[in-house]
Amino acid sequence: MGSVGLTLPWEHKLSAVARDGEWRVEPFEGKAGTVRISEELPQDAAVAAACLSGNLQGYERLYQWQGTRMKNLARNLLGSQADAEDAVQETFLKIQRSISGFRGQSSFVTWTFRILVNTCHDLRRSRIRRKDQVNEDVDALPLRRELRAPGAHPALRMALERALGRLTAHQRDVFLLYEVEGFHHAEIAGMLEISETASKNTLFQAKKNLRTMLEPPRSSAMGGAQ
Amino acid sequence: MNIDCNDCERIFLDGSPEEWAALEQHASACAGCAEELRAWKQLSTAAGELRDCQESPALWARIESSLRQQRAALAPRKSLWTSLDFWLHVSPAWQSALVGAMVVALAISSGYLYTHRAVSPVDPGNKLLKTSALADVERTERDYMSAIDKLAADAGPQLGADTPLMASYREKLIVLDSAIADLRVQAGENPSNAHLRYQLLAMYQEKQQTLRDVLETKR
Repeated sequence: MGSVGLTLPWEHKLSAVARDGEWRVEPFEGKAGTVRISEELPQDAAVAAACLSGNLQGYERLYQWQGTRMKNLARNLLGSQADAEDAVQETFLKIQRSISGFRGQSSFVTWTFRILVNTCHDLRRSRIRRKDQVNEDVDALPLRRELRAPGAHPALRMALERALGRLTAHQRDVFLLYEVEGFHHAEIAGMLEISETASKNTLFQAKKNLRTMLEPPRSSAMGGAQ
Repeated sequence: MNIDCNDCERIFLDGSPEEWAALEQHASACAGCAEELRAWKQLSTAAGELRDCQESPALWARIESSLRQQRAALAPRKSLWTSLDFWLHVSPAWQSALVGAMVVALAISSGYLYTHRAVSPVDPGNKLLKTSALADVERTERDYMSAIDKLAADAGPQLGADTPLMASYREKLIVLDSAIADLRVQAGENPSNAHLRYQLLAMYQEKQQTLRDVLETKR
């Protein structure tokens, strides 16, 4: 296997910290939103209790705590900022409608993100339906990508976005939740209602596929080397 | 821990911390695995590029407004369920007893209403006489019949003439009489059917007009 086509100078070492026996690369160490939910259970419980009481301040706390991450995930799943904001709004409304059914079997954030992921899939389907492109296979639906603010590696990001659009919806969900949003397999399993092993397998397949897609053609690689 | 090149994918899939450390150590001496490891980790780095913290200053205000609206809309429904909450606290035995009592009360009240229902003193065939509208219709019919009898008596001699025109009038009157007879039979079976009554009156009008035409021909 060759290297990823758009190479980056590798500056990140494997994290020295293993979380509950799970070893992961930590490319976004120190950034907001990557802290494991279980480490914030008191806050999770407090926000859940506030929302259950019907107090809008509870929802505001949830937004301040997870809003950016929710919007980012929705943006990556839907491809546009406006659709992402609609998805986040709809998710909050769904939470309010069904909060009485939250039994605390998973963390409140896990439950919230499960609703968000489903909402994004629903919005994506309805968006396609509006365009009279009836296609029930969500995997085959094209992602409409709009330009983002320039990052450190815009070319790499664009290539990755294109490649993500060619993954199955399930692989895309797992990759984004794990690698971008920093959730752990146990949390992803709760969100997508799959087993932890299935989450690991799906991530592995997603990364293998991405790597193949991002790998430069042999001929051009040879040409570049000359 | 001994790691070789064949362990790479297995560790990528679900390696323990010790296995990852051993792989890194192995990769320092193996160019192929070093490349694999570098490419694998690079995907995670690239994923960081998808973190976009674009501000949406108006989003929370929008969400809060919609949450308030929804809460207001959900409030009556909630109070309804709350009012039924007491039922959940009643024991199953009492629930059964209450349901049984309600069924018995319903059966008794239904039976009472059935046995004491108002019975009409007039038979169904005369029901039309109860309504003033149908009485008016019948009176109008009688007036038409009376007028038609007088006209028929006046037009009788002309209708007997052996001319093609009178023959045509006679045929028309036979058809009208036949239609009137049929409609009167149907109206007798269903006196309150307004549609039949309108048709019958239309036939009377037509017969009356036909007889007038016959008399006009005489002049």
